[in-house]
Amino acid sequence: MDLFEAIFWFLTAMAIGSALGVILSRNPINSVLFLIATFFAISGHYILMNAQFLAIVNIIVYAGAIMVLFLFVIMLMNLNADVEPQKSRLVQFAGIISGGILFLLILAALRDMKAAGVIEKTATDIGLMKNLGKTLFQNYVFPFEISSVLFLSAMIGAMVIGKKETLVIDKN
Amino acid sequence: MNEISLNHYLFVSCALFFIGVYGFLTRRNLITMLMAIELILNSININFIVFNKFLFPDKLDGLFFTIFIITIAAAEAAVAIAIIINLYRNYKTIDVEETNTMKF
Amino acid sequence: MKAIIAATIIGVIMMFASILSNNKSGIVSLATVLFFFLFGINIWEVYESINATGVAAPAYLNNMMSLDSFAIWFSMLMSGCALLYILLLGKEIAKVGKHVGEYFALIAFIMVGIYLLAGYSNMLMLFIGIEILSIPQYILAGSDKRNLKSTEASLKYFLMGSFSTGILLMGIAMLYGATGSFDIINFRMLQTDALNPLALSGILFLIIGLGFKVSAAPMHMWTPDVYDGSPTPFTAFMSTIVKAGVFVAFLRLFHASFGNLTNHWMMIVAVITATTLFIGNITAVFQQSVKRMLAYSSIAQAGFMLFAILSVNATAWQGIVIYAVAYSVATIGMFAVLIKLKDYTYDGFNGLAKKEPALAFFTTIFLMSLAGIPLTGGFMAKYFVLLAAVQQGQVMWLVIFALIMAAVSVYYYFKVIIAMYFKTGEAELNHEVTGYDKLMLGITCLLVILIGLMPQLLLNL
Repeated sequence: MDLFEAIFWFLTAMAIGSALGVILSRNPINSVLFLIATFFAISGHYILMNAQFLAIVNIIVYAGAIMVLFLFVIMLMNLNADVEPQKSRLVQFAGIISGGILFLLILAALRDMKAAGVIEKTATDIGLMKNLGKTLFQNYVFPFEISSVLFLSAMIGAMVIGKKETLVIDKN
Repeated sequence: MNEISLNHYLFVSCALFFIGVYGFLTRRNLITMLMAIELILNSININFIVFNKFLFPDKLDGLFFTIFIITIAAAEAAVAIAIIINLYRNYKTIDVEETNTMKF
Repeated sequence: MKAIIAATIIGVIMMFASILSNNKSGIVSLATVLFFFLFGINIWEVYESINATGVAAPAYLNNMMSLDSFAIWFSMLMSGCALLYILLLGKEIAKVGKHVGEYFALIAFIMVGIYLLAGYSNMLMLFIGIEILSIPQYILAGSDKRNLKSTEASLKYFLMGSFSTGILLMGIAMLYGATGSFDIINFRMLQTDALNPLALSGILFLIIGLGFKVSAAPMHMWTPDVYDGSPTPFTAFMSTIVKAGVFVAFLRLFHASFGNLTNHWMMIVAVITATTLFIGNITAVFQQSVKRMLAYSSIAQAGFMLFAILSVNATAWQGIVIYAVAYSVATIGMFAVLIKLKDYTYDGFNGLAKKEPALAFFTTIFLMSLAGIPLTGGFMAKYFVLLAAVQQGQVMWLVIFALIMAAVSVYYYFKVIIAMYFKTGEAELNHEVTGYDKLMLGITCLLVILIGLMPQLLLNL
């Protein structure tokens, strides 16, 4: 087992272990911290796959922005109390069954991949910034521009929904 | 090269997807459910990158799809947080099961 | 392309209008003018596409979109429906909350999403289109912030919507693994015999993900709550124009890419169609509230639209266009009537015919169209989608089942008509029905009948 493999298995164990931590821990703050650990492990995988840019984006956007937003909301609203009642056994069982079936289905589909005549190629420098920039502004310029509409609508939306309406204050 | 192949990575992404779906179905805390959705999206990102790297390394399609998913997930999370804050103001709770003013 | 840019600019203008002005009726008039303008741009684009055949797509699109004549034509029809919606319900939108300009901006952005879905040819555009469509909807659903039902609707919609987006993306990832491309044309190369299990599970995930978006049973559980809880003017928009847009995306993908693989997914979609028809129609019978009944009826109508997906032929494309327009026009009209009433239950309609005969008459026409009575648009719509399925020939049992379910639907639609004409009571109105309202509802009625008499007007294929 060389170093590469050792790192791979370490990152895998870290990703899956902390993902389990996210959904099993009762305190949302712990969940957020576990999720950040998962994101770091996934970013490690990206670096192993030569996608350095993506690894950095993943950490900045997910761990940096989204998770801090989550933590902020949890702490602002004081939601970190350990009061969440679990869903009934039946729902948990149904969750395991349906999640497990999905898992098996995908795994079965993926195991046959090799048999279907797929040739694995060696990696190239897909993650280098220069290539990325060129492709982004040549082939992907239309989706790039059009996604600004999406961000604009998300911005307006967060404002419309998040803004406090004075009427609510009057009632309380 | 090393012996880490496509299937190893696909196993990781499948496991994360499964954990995300399980968390989404069983947890009642809204923030945790959102985190489960983020897990699902991340497992999909791994899928895209793995397919790109191992099967079709001559083009960058999968990588770009992932970048778009990451950015759009961030926009979605912002909206989600706004909705949760609004819900908390009205209900003083973020338990999904208690939001049942409508009967089925 | 012009329409996409115009709709974006309209969204931005509406956004700034709400900063600069507090005058609600002024903003509504501005929105009406701008949507007229958008419709005009769409007509211009259709005119151009007729005259200029064979012009290469602009290079910056890079095969992301194929704005063919169908896409442009369908965009034009949907803009027309959106214009009708603003004309009928614009004043009601202004009553939902304080951020009137933003609501119109979000509606304009949703139109961008619909144009993208009508003409995408790359899975990335499908994903971005669906997200542009969904995110404003989550917000519109929750825009009545003082109302707990509205907040709850927005929450449920968000949770189910983002979960289904995850499923959809998983499907896209698997198809990418199988074909190495996001171009829907390249999926066509999948041959039936050498099918990769990856591609098959990808198609399955796509059916489930898109089924969530069009509220096909058994992925429909969010629909009644979301449509019931959202402010009524926005329910009218979400259940009609948006749904039609997603259906066209569904149709485009499955006909263009998987048309030669029908033996692999036909049975799954057929079972989903049967379930959707059954659950939608049977549950609608037991509803007390007309708004909730319309939510279930939108599930039932989705069942009919699924026939267009099932039957891979040219008639299906005609069917989906006619169905989308006929259903949208009739439902928007129905919601425009419903919103005038104080009480949304069936009893709220008691004696409406005596108090407002014109309103009751229009309601009757809309409901007859939804039920599929001849001479109305709904009949021609159902006729075309079922004809497509008959031509396809593999799912005759489903066609017969659909006819039985259409008969069931007559029961709950006519319950409203009976309440209006034959029951005594005082139907209470929110406010006076003005001459303008009657004029617009009359025009909508004429459209419904016109589609019923001359459906070929909607076809340029």
